[in-house]
Amino acid sequence: MTDQEVGRIMQIPLFRQMDATRFPVNTSLHDILLNDGRLRRFKAGDIIVRQGDYGNSAFIVLSGSARVILDKLTDAGVGHHEPVRKSFSGALAQLWRNSRLPEVRHLSDRAPLSDGQNDFISQSDAVFVQDINAIVKGKKSVDLPEGELFGEIAALSRTPRTTTVIAGADSEMLEIRWQGLREIRLRAPEFKAYVDRLYREHSLKNHLRETPMFRYLNDATLEIVAAATEFLTFGNFEWYAAYSKIREASASERIHEEPVVAHQGHYPNGVYLVRSGFARLSEAYNNVERTVSYLGRGQTFGFEEVAWNWKEKRDMPFRRTLRAVGYVDVLFVPTAILEQHVFPSLPASELPRPQKPRADRGWSAASLHPKISTKMMEFIVEQRFINGTAAMIIDMDRCTRCDDCVRACAATHNNNPRFLRHGPIEDGFMIANACMHCQDPVCMIGCPTGAIHRDSADGRVLINDLTCIGCATCANSCPYNNIQMVTARATDGRPYYDKASNQPIQKAAKCDLCATQITGPACANACPHDALVRMDMRIVDKLADWMDQR
Amino acid sequence: MTLTNRQYFGWFFLAAATLFACLLNYALRVHLRRAELVSGAALLGVILLLTLFNARKKLPFLPLLRASTWMQVHIYAGLLSCVLFVLHAGWKLPQGGLEASLAVLFYLVAASGIAGLALSRWVPSHLTVLGENVIFERIPALRATLRREVEEMVLASVAKSQSSTIADFYEMKLRHYFSKSRHLWYHLASSGRPLFKLLSEVQALDRYLNAEERAIMTRIVERIHAKNNLDYQQARQGLLKAWLFVHIPLTYSMILLATVHGFLAWKLS
Repeated sequence: MTDQEVGRIMQIPLFRQMDATRFPVNTSLHDILLNDGRLRRFKAGDIIVRQGDYGNSAFIVLSGSARVILDKLTDAGVGHHEPVRKSFSGALAQLWRNSRLPEVRHLSDRAPLSDGQNDFISQSDAVFVQDINAIVKGKKSVDLPEGELFGEIAALSRTPRTTTVIAGADSEMLEIRWQGLREIRLRAPEFKAYVDRLYREHSLKNHLRETPMFRYLNDATLEIVAAATEFLTFGNFEWYAAYSKIREASASERIHEEPVVAHQGHYPNGVYLVRSGFARLSEAYNNVERTVSYLGRGQTFGFEEVAWNWKEKRDMPFRRTLRAVGYVDVLFVPTAILEQHVFPSLPASELPRPQKPRADRGWSAASLHPKISTKMMEFIVEQRFINGTAAMIIDMDRCTRCDDCVRACAATHNNNPRFLRHGPIEDGFMIANACMHCQDPVCMIGCPTGAIHRDSADGRVLINDLTCIGCATCANSCPYNNIQMVTARATDGRPYYDKASNQPIQKAAKCDLCATQITGPACANACPHDALVRMDMRIVDKLADWMDQR
Repeated sequence: MTLTNRQYFGWFFLAAATLFACLLNYALRVHLRRAELVSGAALLGVILLLTLFNARKKLPFLPLLRASTWMQVHIYAGLLSCVLFVLHAGWKLPQGGLEASLAVLFYLVAASGIAGLALSRWVPSHLTVLGENVIFERIPALRATLRREVEEMVLASVAKSQSSTIADFYEMKLRHYFSKSRHLWYHLASSGRPLFKLLSEVQALDRYLNAEERAIMTRIVERIHAKNNLDYQQARQGLLKAWLFVHIPLTYSMILLATVHGFLAWKLS
C-alpha cells in the first residue's frame, strides 16, 4: 500500500478512534497498516474466505459489502474435494485402468498428439470455477456494511474459518495479517475489547463447556467463568518459517527460545486451557530443563496444583514449566474463580488425588509416560512431531527395507509414492517423510484457491487436484517437507504445458491416507512385518503402548 | 522372548493341523487307501496358498487382510507344508528323476524361506544400530558424492600445501576403496577388519603431514567412515533383498514340477 492509501484507511472509524500515542514510534499504527495490510478488490459473488480454510488475516470492508453465509455449505460447495471411496469393482479396476506412467491426469479433452508436440492447456482450464451464487441461493446470510471487521478470530487463534464470506457487491477490502492484528490488539484497548467480545460471544462458552472441569456448571455460573477468562497467546504463529533454523540450534538454545507460559515453582494463580497450538511440559534438572510431556488443544495445565491447594489448604507451586512450542493460544481461568465457582461443583472423584513429590528416578524415567523414554519425548517435541494426527512411524528394528509400503502407495496414487521412506530416527523409530495431517496445518495458510483443505468428516488434510494451481505455497510452508510438487502428464507421459507461461503444469501431491481407497492407508496394510503405523501423536498413551509392544 | 497372542494362535494352528494330518494319514494307510494322493493334494493346496501371498502384494488396493496377517499365515502354512511333505514323501530322497528333482526343489524352497525369515528378524536391528539409515537405491549416488568430495579435498591439499603426500596416499589406498562397494563378505560377517586396516594406514601417514594436510585428512577420514557405512548398508540390505531372488524362482519351478507330478500321479492312479 502507499502512504496515501494508508492515510485514507486511517480515517475509517475503527482506526480513527484509536489513540495513536499508545503505539511506539517505530511501530506506529500507520507503519503496521503499511507493512501488514493490503487492499483487495472483489467482484460481487467472489469468495473472500471459505468455511474450513485456515487464514492468517482478517478483513475490513472499505466499500461495497461482505455477505456472511450463515448456513453451513458442503465441502464441494466451497471448492473442497469430497473424496469418494471406490467400490470393490472400482478398486479392482485399478489393476488394469491405472497408468504405468507416473502422475498421469486427464486435464483436458484434446486431439491426439503428433510426435514431438507438447500438450498446451491453460492452467485455469484445470481449475473448477464455482458457481457460488447458485450454491448460496436460499442460504441464510447477513451483509456486513462498510467499516465492519471479519475473520479476526480465525486469524488470531489459528482456527478454521467457521463461515464462508463472499462479496455482496463489487467491494474493496483491507486485509490485515495476523501480525498486524496482534500488534493493534496489544496497543489499542478498544480493539482488544472488541475482538475479545466477539470471541466471548461466539466461541468461548462452547470451548469451556467442552472442558471436563466445567461440565457441572449451570449457564449462569459458566457466564461468570467466561467473563473472568483471559485470552493469551504465546510464541510465533509463523513458527514454521523459522523452524529449519531453530532445528540447527542446540537443545538448550531451542528451549530458551520458547516463551514461558507458566514457571515451575511459581504460585499457581490459575489454570491454563490450551485452545490451539502446542506446549511443552518440562521439569528443572540440575542446570537445564528436561521435557516430561506435551499438551495440545483441549488439555489443561495447573488443575492438579490449584485443586489440591483448595482441597487441602496447601501452597503447592506449579510442579512443571509450561512453554509454547511454536505458538500456543491459551485460556486462563484465575484461581479465585475456580475456587469460588468450579471446584465446589466437582464430585470428589474428579478432584486430584493426594500429590506425592515425584522421586528422582534417574535420567531415563523422567517422562510422565513411563513407556516413553526421556530422549524419545525430547525428540518428539523438539522435532514438532506432536503436530501429527497421522504421523507415519516405522519400527526400524522390524523394517526389512522391502519397500512394499512404497510400492503400495505408488499403486494407489498415480504410480508415484506420496511419501519417502526416510526421516529422523530415535530409539529405532523413524518418523518418515509422509504428511502427518497436522493438528496445526500451516500448509493450508495462503492457498489461493482453497485446494488444500481439511476434510470436514475425519480431519484429513486433502488436496483438490482440480483446483490446485501448482503455486507451491503449501509445499513451501510445510515445515516437515512432506508436500511435493509433481508435473502433470498426459496418458502418453508427456507433461502438460501452461498456455500462458509455457511451463509444465505442476500439482501439489502428498499423502491423503488413501481417502478414496476401500482399504484405508495402503502403506500400513502392505507392511508384512507390522513395522509401519499411522499414529495420532496427540494421544501419548497410545503412542507409548505401541512403542512398548515392540 | 515372550510370545504374542498371534504367535500362540499360529503355533496352536500348526500343532492342531499337524495332529490332524498325521491322524488322517495313519487312518488312510490302515484302511489301505491311497494316502499319498490325499497328502499330495493337501501339500499342493498349501503351496498354492503360500504363493498367494505374493499375489496379495500386487493388489494393495483390495481389502484382502493386512499383509502382516498374510505373512503370519505364510510362516505357519510354510511349516505345515514341511510336515505334509514328510507325510507324503517320507524322509528319504525319492527314486525317480522327476520326484527327486521335486524333492530337492522343495528342500531348497523351504530352506531359503526359513533363512529369509531368520534374516528378516536378525538384519534390521543390525542396520539400525550399526549404521546411518540410507535408502538402498540411493547408495551408488551417495558413494559417488563421497568420492567426488574426497577427490576435491585431495586436489585442494596439493594446491594448498604444495605437497603430494595425500594425493599419493589417495592413489595407493583410497581410489580403490572409494571406487565401488567393497568388503562384502566382511560386512556380512560384521567384521570391521578392513576399516581398521585402512585407518591404521591413515594413522601411519600422519607423521608425514603438516597441520594443513592433517586438517584435510581428518575430513577425508570422516568420508572413509561414511563410505564404510554405505558398504555395510549395501551388503546387509542387499542380503535382505537377495534371498527373495532365490526363494521365488525356486518356488515357481517347484510348482511347475509339482503340477506335472500331480497330473502324472492322478493319471496313473
